[in-house]
Order: sequence, then C-alpha cells, then structure tokens
Amino acid sequence: MSNNKAFAADASRKERIKEWVSRPGGFGIITGSLMFAAITLVGFIYPLVGPYAADEFVGESLEGPSLSHPMGLDQLGRDVMTRVFSAVPADIGIAFLGVTIPLTIGTVVGILLGISKNKYVVSTVSSLIDGINAFPLLIIAIAMVTFLGPGLFNVVIILTLMSWARYARIARTKAVVVLQQNYIEATKLMGYSKRRVISKHVAPNVSSESLAYALSDFILVIIIVSGLSFLGFAARPPMPEWGSMIADGRTFLGQAWWLTVFPGLAICWSAISLSFIVEGLSRRDRGNS
Amino acid sequence: MSNALVQIDSLCIDVKVTRTRRLTIVNSATFDVHPGQLLGLIGESGSGKTMLCRSLVGTLHRRGAYINSGSLTFNGIDLIKATPKEWRDIRGKEIGYIPQSALAGPNPVMTIGAQMAEAIQLGEKMDKSVVRKRAIELLEIVQIRRPEIVLKQYPYELSGGMKQRVMIACAIAREPKLIVADEPTTGLDVTVQAEIMQLLKQIRKDLNTAIILVSHDLPLINEVCDDIVIMHAGSTVEKIPSANIERTRHPYTEALYKSRIDLVEPRGKLITIKGQPPTVGDWPTGCRFAGRCDYAKPGCSADVEIPSIKIGPNHLTSCIRQAEIWGK
Amino acid sequence: MNLLEAFDVSVTFKAFGYEVQAVKNVDFVLPQGKVVGIVGESGSGKSTFARVLTGLQEPTGGYVTYLGAPIQDGKEIYKGELRKAVQMVFQDPYSSLNPRMRIINAVAEAVRVHQNPNKAEAQQIALDLLKRMGISEIDAFKYPSSLSGGQRQRASVARALSVQPKILIADEPTSAIDQSAQSQLLELFSELIKDGLSIVLVSHDLGVIRYLTDNVYVMQNGEFVETGSSSKIFESPSNAYTQKLISSIPSSGKK
Repeated sequence: MSNNKAFAADASRKERIKEWVSRPGGFGIITGSLMFAAITLVGFIYPLVGPYAADEFVGESLEGPSLSHPMGLDQLGRDVMTRVFSAVPADIGIAFLGVTIPLTIGTVVGILLGISKNKYVVSTVSSLIDGINAFPLLIIAIAMVTFLGPGLFNVVIILTLMSWARYARIARTKAVVVLQQNYIEATKLMGYSKRRVISKHVAPNVSSESLAYALSDFILVIIIVSGLSFLGFAARPPMPEWGSMIADGRTFLGQAWWLTVFPGLAICWSAISLSFIVEGLSRRDRGNS
Repeated sequence: MSNALVQIDSLCIDVKVTRTRRLTIVNSATFDVHPGQLLGLIGESGSGKTMLCRSLVGTLHRRGAYINSGSLTFNGIDLIKATPKEWRDIRGKEIGYIPQSALAGPNPVMTIGAQMAEAIQLGEKMDKSVVRKRAIELLEIVQIRRPEIVLKQYPYELSGGMKQRVMIACAIAREPKLIVADEPTTGLDVTVQAEIMQLLKQIRKDLNTAIILVSHDLPLINEVCDDIVIMHAGSTVEKIPSANIERTRHPYTEALYKSRIDLVEPRGKLITIKGQPPTVGDWPTGCRFAGRCDYAKPGCSADVEIPSIKIGPNHLTSCIRQAEIWGK
Repeated sequence: MNLLEAFDVSVTFKAFGYEVQAVKNVDFVLPQGKVVGIVGESGSGKSTFARVLTGLQEPTGGYVTYLGAPIQDGKEIYKGELRKAVQMVFQDPYSSLNPRMRIINAVAEAVRVHQNPNKAEAQQIALDLLKRMGISEIDAFKYPSSLSGGQRQRASVARALSVQPKILIADEPTSAIDQSAQSQLLELFSELIKDGLSIVLVSHDLGVIRYLTDNVYVMQNGEFVETGSSSKIFESPSNAYTQKLISSIPSSGKK
C-alpha cells in the first residue's frame, strides 16, 4: 500500500507544491537548492557585472573589508570578493565535470556489465573496478599529479580515471537487481528491442541510484579540487580558486584574516548547501519507505 | 462485560509521521475478548488490524505509534499506562504472539533449541535440563516429530509449516492467557494451514487460552473462530458470532461475505466491492465505507461520531442505517 | 484445437554443484477458449512450468508447441508470432511495473510497438484499455507507487492485453492482493474469457481455481499427479494428494 496521500489530480498547483514541501526532507531540499543556486549564479554573473576584474590591482595591498571592498584586498591589491566569486567556475565547475563525466562513463559501463552474459568479461572488468576502488582517491590523485603535472584540467582527467569505477560498481549492482524484476521480464514478453529495454527501462531505474550517489560525491570532489589546489597541484596563480587563495593567504593569516576566511566560507557554503539537499533527499526516502 | 479478559473501548492509535504530522491508523476500535474465546479479526490492508495487535503486545513504539485515546485493559491491567517493566511481565507470560509466517519467524542464526530456551525462560534463570524437557514437551504439543533432532536444527532446515509450529510452541511456552496470532498461515500451503488451525483449536481447548486470530481470509475465520470482529479503515465496524455471519448487520461484512468465491458458481456473477479501500489517513468524514456502500445515503457521510450499536448479546455493529436495511 | 501443448517437459536447475529437478516430464494441453488451472503448493514447480509455457524459461527436456509449431528452435525462442500470442501476468504487483514509468506510458508503449505507432492514437487505445480494466483516466497518469496492489495487477493485465494475445498465463495473480481486489480481478478475467481469451491460471488458491477453470492439473513435486475437468477434481478427486488438498479448504460451514 502506498503511503502517498490520495491526491486529486485536479488539486491546484499551489496545493501540490505545498504538499511536496511538507513531506519529510522538503525543507532541506529547498534550502540547500536555494543556497547552492545562489552561489553558482552569483559566481557566474558577478564577474561579468562587478566593478573590478579578478586580477586587477585596485588598491593598497592588504586593505581590510570596507564598503567598496566587502571582502577586502589581497596582498597584490586585488579585490577578494571578485576573486572569490570568480573562482566558482573553477571550483564548482571543475567539480561538476569531475562528477558528471565519471558518472556517465561509470553508469554506462555498469549497465553493460550488468547485462553482459560473458562470464570472462564480467569478472575481468569487475576485478578492474574493485582494484581501482581499493585506492584512496586523494593520495592517488596527488601521485598522479606528479606524473601529469598540475592544472585544473589534469585534475578532471585524474578524477575521471579514478572515480568512474565507483559509479560502475553502483550501477552494476543496481542493474543486476533491476534485471531480475518482473517488469523487465515483461519487456521480453512484449518483444521489445534490446535498445528500448536498456534505454527506457533499465537505465532510468539504475541511474536514479547513481544520481543520488553523484550528489554526495559532488561535495567530496569540491573539497578535493580545493584541497589539491591548496597543495599547489591544481590551480596555478593567478587563477582565482578557493584552495589556492587559502594557501596564498596563509602567510598573512595574522594580519589579513580575510584572505583565507572568505574563500574558506565559500567552500563551506557550497558543501553545506549540497549536504542539505542530500540530507533532505535521504529523509524523504526514509519517510516514504 | 466484567469477566472479559481483554477490553478495548474506542481505542485510537496514531503514528508520528514527521515532527509535526500525525496519522491516525486506528480511529475507533471496540470489542472484548473472553477467556478461552477464539476471536477472529478480519480486515484488509489499511484497516489497522496489525497496529491493534501491536498495541496488545506493547510494541507500538517500535513503529513510532502511540495510543491517543480510548482504553485497553487486560485482566484488569491498564495496558496504555503499563510501564516497560510491567510489559516485560506481561509479554510472553500473559500475552503470547505468533507472527505472520511469511515475515518473521525464528531467528535464522539461532538453533531452534536456543530460541525455545529463550521463549521458555524469558529472562529468568532456569535449570538447563528443565528447559530442555519443556522444549521437547512443547514441540510435541505442536506435533513436531523427532523433537530432539529439531532442537539442534537451524530454521533454514525446516519447512514453512514447521517453522510456524515452532513459533506457536514459543508462544505457548508460558501458557499465556491470550495469544495474538497475526496472519499465522498467510503464505503457507492450504494443507499446512488446515493443520495449524486444528492445532490452534486444540491449544485453545487444552490450555483455555483466548486466541485472537487475525486474517484477511473470511472463509477461514468463519470456519475456525467463535466470533468475528470486522475492521475497515481503522475502525471495528462489526462484531458478530461466526454462526450468525449471514445475519450480518453491516454492509461491509455483507459485501465481504457475499464476495466470497467459494459461494459462487464457477464463472458465475461475482459480487464485488466497488472502488478502492480508502488510503490510510485520507479518510472521509462519517462512515468510511459509505463511498463503496450499496446502501449509502447522504446522511452516512455526515461528520458525526460513528456509534457502536448493540444488536444482541454478542453482536455489535456501527452501521447507522442497520435498522432500516435489515429491519428491527 | 489446442493452442498450447507441452510434451515431456522437464526443467532442471543447476547451482553450486547441486541439481534440482523442478519439473519432471510433464505433458500439458491448453484447448482454445478454455481456462486451464495448475494447482499445487509452493515449490511444486508450477511457476517454473508456467514460464516454460511463455518461452521465458527454456526446458532442459521436452518441448512446447503453439498451434502445433515448437516455440523453440534449438536455442532460439520463437519470437514474433509467439510474443503476440502468449502473455503473462506475474504474482508480485510491486515489481510488475516499471516504477519510473507512468501506467499510461507503459501500456501505450506496448500499443505503439505492436499496434499503432501514432503517439496520440496509441495513448487513446491505452486509455480505453485501462478503463476497461477499471482504471480511471486520472489513475492512468499516475506512477505505480500511487496505486494499490489490485490496481497494479489490473494495469499489468492491461499491458499484457495491449498486444492482443490469444493466451494469458496468470501466475498467482491474486495471491498478493486484498480480498476485494481479488474479486475485482477475477470478475475481469471472467469477462475476458467471455471475449475469447484462453487462460492458464497458476495458483495455490483452490477457491480461485474452482471459480475460474474448466480443467485442472494438480502438481506435486514437479509432476502432474492428477488432471481432469474442474468439476470432477473438486467433487471426486481420485489421487490421495488431491483429496488432501480439497479437504483442507475451509468450507462455508455452518449451514
């Protein structure tokens, strides 16, 4: 028996939205989404409309926060606020790529693996996946950086190479379960083409799980990107990026706290907003089981 | 009835859905159980019968449910106010429980002997040989052959019917005054079901235990039980002696009775209850069966308290139109 | 005329070195326009056999024919014709429908693939079919999780019927749903039978078998121990196991 309230199809839009929000987790999802949307939008728009450029020297070095520079100036006289927001494409954007690319590759591989009847292929690839998953992500990332050299795009490549296996494992497990369901057998009885079955029946059910994981992964990757930049392995100056800004600001921690605190807050804001969404979604799942 | 073993009156059970939202699962349950009575409790999904059982064994809190109003007494003890310590003295010793065969059942990682020992001792320390003797005795009562061997086995080695017999043995270990059997034969084959029903009747006779038998299978309850309580959408709509089921005074019972396929000619016209059972918590005002009732009039959905009308010494109904429909 | 026939069918499962013979050398006939029941307890092999009849399960021995032609040619399961002729309804209503697809789309998809590729027309055909199954237009646009078990079963039947099959194999269709939903489903089946559908009904519920079937096969441990017309089986069963089954049914009693 479903727990969903018997909702008349002609209930007004407003009522339906209200109902959706009042279900468990609604508050978290909305708050998180708004917070995340805020920083992402500001990050992409502000550098275009803001008064300064990210690498423009606009004043005295190490000037504290003021009305014209709410987040102060860094050691080279650049406006911190502009730099913090300009870093969004780097931090959030690169993290986004670092999640969506492995997600796509991994889910496709996982589904194919779940469908495959070739025992040798399945066991070889599964072992490969398990092998890759056995390594701690951050350590290997640092190691690989020494081979590939630093740079944000190299980070994306590294993340893709390491992360696809995690998604593949999730997708494969779910695919195996899905394939045992009656509705998939029904598609066989219906005589549907393999292409149709995979794209319309298997993939949507598998990807819902992968997407849920991807959202949590997003938080992790943002922190990894910032972390790698902090260590000097990813973004290079003068590119604005939260991790490297924090690293640069370290030496001035005592005198100019705004150099490290504001980029740090940006990382926190992003991670927390996503966490709200994830928590809201999992509460919703629990409440509806 | 002052000699009743269990008295339930206007019981209302709510469940906490979110921090602020409450859902009423049982809206008003009223019936009595007498010592040694075999009472059938029938209802479809969403009727609240499982929650009612939980309230009788004190496990409501595990589902975040709680008794909102009404009264529930067992042997004079107020079960609503019972403390966890009092429940420990009641559960298993005074009130036994047989779970639904398909779901629970013996703990898969314990031997049968270990589980029976648990059920027999219920936390008290007893001499090992005494426990073992009692366990064999109980397994014999439930007609399990070669009990000494079964004691050493694990649940996966037993058939569904045997596992359920073990659960019954555990339930009667301390000779409780009341046993709540929640769909004990659902999912079991019909031959096994017949045997288990025989067993329950035997236990009732030998130990004078009252048994509340919950099921969705009307023919089964009709054949086995003395009296039947019918639940629909969270309320007990009728209580009627089994023998009088044809003289029902509630449209839902009548519909359930008439829609039995064993009474119809093969491929004959089936009487069906139109529509869907109402979703839990989304109940309409007034009588909740009105939307599917053939006799419904506008007055049935009025926002009034649904009464409990006494027809005979053992017959209660909650249909406000019963006199008009079936005469005085 | 016999629609489906099974000759000496066996199914053996192999796992971890063990071999289990679920179905042992059984013969079976489904005459046109008839309802044949397969009754047996859980583990008797009836579900496995039902799946052999649909072509989903390959028998390890023997073969099945549809209108005289074997449904399997070596390893190839006879597609095309057979897919349109034989459809199945499963026991578990909760996994029978794609949870990410609205009911209407699940049924319309089948219509588009088999009858009419026009999207709008297919959707209308699907809606009419669902209405015939007792599912309103409003409910048709919902996701399976918003419907009750009984409604989901009827939606599964609608999907199965959308390819206009001659045979419907129903594997325990009433076991997982409520009493009132059961009657509704059985009433639906009755109507479909009047419209010419042949049904193989697999169930452990003797009441359902008695109500719906013309002929019955009684299965025990992978073998058919008795077969005959439904009235004969219920009134005068000759096999001891059958007798035990019949006598275990709760009777209406108190007359």
